[in-house]
Amino acid sequence: MKDKTLIFLLFISLYASYGQVTADSIRLRFIPEFKNAPLEANKKYISANNDTITIETFRFYLGNIKIGTANNEAENLEKNYHLIDFSDRASMEVAVKSPTQIENSLLQFEIGVDSLQSVSGALSGDLDPMHGMYWAWNSGYINIKLEGTSSSCSTRKNRFQFHIGGYAKPNCALQKLQIPLPNKWETKKELVVRIDLANFFSYINLSTTNSVMIPGKEALALAEIAKQMFKLE
Amino acid sequence: MKKIRYIALLLLFAFGLMGFHHWFNTPIYFDVPKNWPKPTYNFKENPLTEEGFQLGRKLFYDPILSRDESISCASCHLQQTAFTHVDHDLSHGIDGKIGTRNAPTLQNLAWSTNFMWDGGVNHLDVQAIAPLTSEVEMDENLEHLVQKLQKSKTYPELFQKAFGSRKITGQYLLKALSQFVVSLKSANAKYDRVVMGEEQFTEIEQKGYEIFKKNCASCHQEPLFTNGSFENNGLTLDRSLNDLGRMAITKKSADSLKFKVPTLRNVQFSFPYMHDGRFKSLTEVVKHYNSGIEKSKTLSKFLVKPMNLSERQRTELVAFLKTLSDQEFLFNPRYSFPREKIE
Repeated sequence: MKDKTLIFLLFISLYASYGQVTADSIRLRFIPEFKNAPLEANKKYISANNDTITIETFRFYLGNIKIGTANNEAENLEKNYHLIDFSDRASMEVAVKSPTQIENSLLQFEIGVDSLQSVSGALSGDLDPMHGMYWAWNSGYINIKLEGTSSSCSTRKNRFQFHIGGYAKPNCALQKLQIPLPNKWETKKELVVRIDLANFFSYINLSTTNSVMIPGKEALALAEIAKQMFKLE
Repeated sequence: MKKIRYIALLLLFAFGLMGFHHWFNTPIYFDVPKNWPKPTYNFKENPLTEEGFQLGRKLFYDPILSRDESISCASCHLQQTAFTHVDHDLSHGIDGKIGTRNAPTLQNLAWSTNFMWDGGVNHLDVQAIAPLTSEVEMDENLEHLVQKLQKSKTYPELFQKAFGSRKITGQYLLKALSQFVVSLKSANAKYDRVVMGEEQFTEIEQKGYEIFKKNCASCHQEPLFTNGSFENNGLTLDRSLNDLGRMAITKKSADSLKFKVPTLRNVQFSFPYMHDGRFKSLTEVVKHYNSGIEKSKTLSKFLVKPMNLSERQRTELVAFLKTLSDQEFLFNPRYSFPREKIE
């Protein structure tokens, strides 16, 4: 009896130390693309504006994942922020708990980091400033980082650099998305969100807009455009 | 069965320890001087410990923080000058590159709500990212720095002692640095002892104090000798720098040419003065406020009316400012280069 108690206690402590709840979960998978084909680093693409483009970096923060109705009755499935990095496959899959309600549902999430986290000093995990998604001279997170080259940019090494962010009003670049879920989505184990960068570049004139690295009107406009890349499969 | 029991007991103990590693560090109580406001720094999120403080101190003085291991925080923040860069109008960093501003003093930061001359940094814990990553200061990137520290012989052990983890993160690095700089408290100048009734001003200092209260104290509020606001103090724009100050952060034209009101504690030793270090002496500074103010749209409302101080009164004012020097702070061995072996 004593042994059993001891082994029970051991399991409890194991659970407390490393306990990962493996209850019902659903996976969100993000697939960056260019014109419906999986995005590849340093591959040459032609945009709708006839710009030749290669992508080196594409990362963004994903937060506040919810499923529910639009009128604020959504159920929060995951409170933590995730840094989605297209050079790191594992980062593009996020497991969240299954929602309890499935009627009239919208998939909701945010692109970027909210103001509370942005004024809370040095945070941990995916929000650790060491991941290069934090501004030094003007505190706050970079919500989306998109970098590459294009012959249309008359910049040094033909680079374009978009560091889109800003948490303070009126330049809050956080984007909230609400995407209707398809029928019978609850039978699936995985929801696939496709992010087509061709969409983004179709709205941008790279010869004039190629370097946005501070919060402001330009960053806000880019954040709005970026929002439109996200499509649920 | 006995063996299983033994192993289970051992594991239980081990897991128990993992949960309570914070038991093994030494908490420090942050003492708030009498009649001072409540600190703004949230100590609950970064509880001060002797281990954390000593780690932060070691990091502060260690050039490993810069790209080529040539520059430490102390390169531009020397204790004997209240942790500013003495004798340089604009501070210089890696490869002799020169920045655009004078390094600020580091004192009483537990009471600051934002940092830098333009207030662009919103929390002490993320302040160090700016000099660490600036191309003209330390030119390092945080991820690489964390890797360097992780590979070093001494640091993983010190992080373990301070934060209970040998795995170094950007967060722990920044919090350790904060623990050191937030502890840099200056509250034992002659002025403080006079306020406490332990000493008395000389006649000339007393007269200077009266002049100070009438002309300077709206912005340089006691006891911190700053109100933390941003003001345009009537300096002529240096065309070689075109530094618009606070406006670069807020993008509002109303903030043009405004800079953080610095504390005046230890001002005797923190020369040169102003955001671009344009004045070498306190006499020049007082002269500027007395007769050098340039009028512009954003000029501080407190500076519109000229001070019109006589030469004698200006001398008295400077005499008072010197009572803000805190020898205990400037020479406290606890804040200086860690010569002793850190256990």
